[in-house]
Amino acid sequence: MPLHPSFSMPVPTGFCVALLSVLILMTSASCAAAATAKDGIRVVSHAQGDTRISGTPQRVVTLFQGANDTAVALGVTPVGVVDAWAEGKNYDYLDAPLAGVPHVGLETQPSLEAIALLEPDLIIASTRRHEKIYPLLSQIAPTVSLATVFDIRRTLEVMGQALNREDRAQELWNAWQQRLAAFRQQASRQLGDRWPMSATVLNFRADHARLYLDGSYAGSVLHDLGFTRPPAHPERQWVLKLTTKESIPIIDADVVFYFMASEPAVRDNFEAWTRHPLWQNLNVVREQRVYPVDRVDWSLAGGILGANRMLDQLFHHFQLDQGS
Amino acid sequence: MDRRRVRFGPVSMAFSPRTLVVISGLLLVSLAITGVALSVGHVTLSPMTVLHHLLGNSTGPERFIIDTLRLPRIVMAFLVGAALAVSGLILQALVRNPLASPDIIGISGGASVAAVAFLSFLTPWLGIQWLPVAAIGGAAIAAIAIYSLAWQRGVTPVRLVLVGIGLSAAMGAATTLMITLSPISTTMTAYVWLTGSVYGADWGDVRALAPWLIVLLPLALFHARAIDLQEFGDHLATGLGLSVQRNRLVLLALSVALAGAAVAHAGAIGFVGLIAPHIARRLTDRHFAGLAPVAAMVGGLLVMIADLAGRTLFVPLDLPAGVFVSAIGAPFFVYLLYRQRY
Amino acid sequence: MTTAPKMLTGLAFLTAAFCASLALGQTTMSPATVAEALFHPDATNTEHLIVQGSRLPRAVIAVLVGAALAVAGALMQALTRNPLASPAIFGVNAGAVFAIVLATTWLAVSAIHDLLWIGLGGATIAGALVYTLGSQGRQGPDPVRLVLAGAAITALFVSFTQALLVSNREGLDSVLFWLAGSVSGRSMDMVMPTLPLLLPALCVAMLLGRQINLLMSGDDIARGLGQNVARLKAMLGVLTVLLAGCAVALAGNVGFVGLIVPHMVRGWLGHDHRWLIPGCALAGATLLLVADVVARFLIMPQEIPVGVMTALLGTPLFIHLARRRLGHG
Repeated sequence: MPLHPSFSMPVPTGFCVALLSVLILMTSASCAAAATAKDGIRVVSHAQGDTRISGTPQRVVTLFQGANDTAVALGVTPVGVVDAWAEGKNYDYLDAPLAGVPHVGLETQPSLEAIALLEPDLIIASTRRHEKIYPLLSQIAPTVSLATVFDIRRTLEVMGQALNREDRAQELWNAWQQRLAAFRQQASRQLGDRWPMSATVLNFRADHARLYLDGSYAGSVLHDLGFTRPPAHPERQWVLKLTTKESIPIIDADVVFYFMASEPAVRDNFEAWTRHPLWQNLNVVREQRVYPVDRVDWSLAGGILGANRMLDQLFHHFQLDQGS
Repeated sequence: MDRRRVRFGPVSMAFSPRTLVVISGLLLVSLAITGVALSVGHVTLSPMTVLHHLLGNSTGPERFIIDTLRLPRIVMAFLVGAALAVSGLILQALVRNPLASPDIIGISGGASVAAVAFLSFLTPWLGIQWLPVAAIGGAAIAAIAIYSLAWQRGVTPVRLVLVGIGLSAAMGAATTLMITLSPISTTMTAYVWLTGSVYGADWGDVRALAPWLIVLLPLALFHARAIDLQEFGDHLATGLGLSVQRNRLVLLALSVALAGAAVAHAGAIGFVGLIAPHIARRLTDRHFAGLAPVAAMVGGLLVMIADLAGRTLFVPLDLPAGVFVSAIGAPFFVYLLYRQRY
Repeated sequence: MTTAPKMLTGLAFLTAAFCASLALGQTTMSPATVAEALFHPDATNTEHLIVQGSRLPRAVIAVLVGAALAVAGALMQALTRNPLASPAIFGVNAGAVFAIVLATTWLAVSAIHDLLWIGLGGATIAGALVYTLGSQGRQGPDPVRLVLAGAAITALFVSFTQALLVSNREGLDSVLFWLAGSVSGRSMDMVMPTLPLLLPALCVAMLLGRQINLLMSGDDIARGLGQNVARLKAMLGVLTVLLAGCAVALAGNVGFVGLIVPHMVRGWLGHDHRWLIPGCALAGATLLLVADVVARFLIMPQEIPVGVMTALLGTPLFIHLARRRLGHG
């Protein structure tokens, strides 16, 4: 009986052995990984250290809007969420997925008792808001803390790891990247040499107007899409608070996106600013490229679902085909 | 007035039995309020359940709530109130005016500027556990500034108060400037801090604040005689053997340290340093040795009750204790002024 | 120099500051443009519209508020015979701020005209409280008690204001800049309702100069010379509340003007209140105009709230004064 298979291909023996060993090693390694995941102890690194999480958490409490959003995107319904900043207890777009979910209080000051009573096995918090109570939260359940409240990528990544849904998280991120690429492609095709455009994001308030710069949430998403920063805007800052209409010229750009709350005082202020001759004189106003957008999606949501809705509005305003 | 003398080696103090009765009474009230505070909150537990958890070895969310959430918060509120009350008492003797308090004299203002600056600009780099240090630093710098600016061949109470009030206004402006220019997310946090809150207090915070009281309160009592003398006026006090200027500096430092430590951990809670000494004066005699413990307990009770009200009256909102201290303290203070009882 | 030429110099400075306030800003304009904008406004010229629409009301408000606060400060210092008195310390500011915050956050009032009256109401209540609490004795207002009562009432209203803002995030956002003190963003028709109160109050204050001089020599002497001390003090109180209340209702919390300006003017013009009060009006207006102009440039395109600017400018002056004036304790 021959000891070696009688192939007629001139494959060197050494190579076969090496390949086989590698295959065996890889299989055992992935079995080990799968085994680890099954037994459950993952170590998730986050803004306030490393947290050991076992198994797949079933009872998650999310303590900021971006986390609420991302949890729903990952297919997980939290057992406790914090109140939204506008539109009632939940944002409209999350109303259905979060129907019936108990609230644990304000994002800035959640009720620790309420959280403890829910007996969660994972808490998603943010250093920006909850640094002080992190030790207490950790005593209730393993707690993972994000450095900011609106970094959609990091939130998705960390929550994916913590919730044992990394695959789904990766899918969501890839889909997002594809949409960004599609937008960039179509925008440059449609707008030709007017692309890339510089963009200003404006928020009207009751007694002033806010200009969100490239360090802000909306600004960073626009940056990823290929929009540029108007030269007059300072770099790497978050916001400019404009208290006088004489600052209107700084708003000028190739396109302006604005949003605001619906209170009468805010509307009055908006009217006052847009009636001003300096506003009428802006190039962007003359060329009618001033677009209203949704306040929640552009500044309050901070999660992957909200970001996608923001992108929907951009596709709509530029009349690009979302089909691809 | 019937006073007995107590001697501990070289140190002797005079107590009136009435003071001891008052202190015991206040202690009982404090325990009762603690019991109530441990029972109510987001979920109401019966006192029997509370006792069972405190004395037993149970686990679970209820135990956690009582042991780790409610109890340290209650203790913290009490400590903060006590520190502020004694600080106010010392200051009122120093300034010889019963309307003086750490917030009026600019100490809270200094802590506020430092704290808001820290919250607005430094927290991402240094971490929030350094906030109390920043606040105490601010209070100390403000106190030094006020003292040195009021110093001209000595410090007189009137000058001290007026310079303090003036510098408070300046520090208020600086605080406002930082709030308007700060990144948006810290505005509400800063405002809550400025109002005064013990939300999120844990045993670590208690362990950080307690040493200050353990060291400073006995130190204050040690100076009881000197404090009483300061009230008589500079000439008389000097005549009675007190080194007035040096003593004034030491007492001011004591007052600032107590107020600074309290404000550093709980934010700029106002009124306690003003009201608690007054209530204490109604309950017991005018000597510092008797007033201090009573004022401390009254102050502690005041903040405890205010915090209890804040977290239970408007569930699910958890309002800062500072709001209710003012709600109770301010009208009472106005009543005192009206009655001219000082 | 005798007093009259000094006053004229003051007037000249004021005019210069006024023109600077009209000409300088994010778009700097030439004096010729400004003159044209004022006297021959062309409704289609942007620069004219800026001058008429934002800079003119801003300058006018700065003048009115600066004058009102400075005069209120001088009156307060005379009333209490306390060189460190000012309307802010007496609770008037805090009362107005509280009333306005209450109205905007809980009663959802947003019309500026309504807020004006509400602010004035709050200022009056606070002022009345402080005055009553500070005058419990037979002698009328006791200076030290008045100061401390004022500080306490200020603390009271500030705490209540904080209570309102802490429970209402949207409310906080909408009043933040106003709270810090601001003369921008108002139109001329907001100023109009205050004129019937401010201008007569200023005039009356200036006419009381001689009587105040008499009061400064001491209550007993003044009474002995036939003055109705109680009535004069009451009038001074009412005038202070009117002036400071209108100022706060128009511009929010602007501090230090009432404290510093009377001292500066005393050093310049002497203690005769017949000159001191008009001098304060001039100097206060000029100071606020200058502060407002500087506030536009420091962090362009953002602006520093003018109330903060006056505090930053005023603190070193204040410290110097506190040390010099209180030398005898």
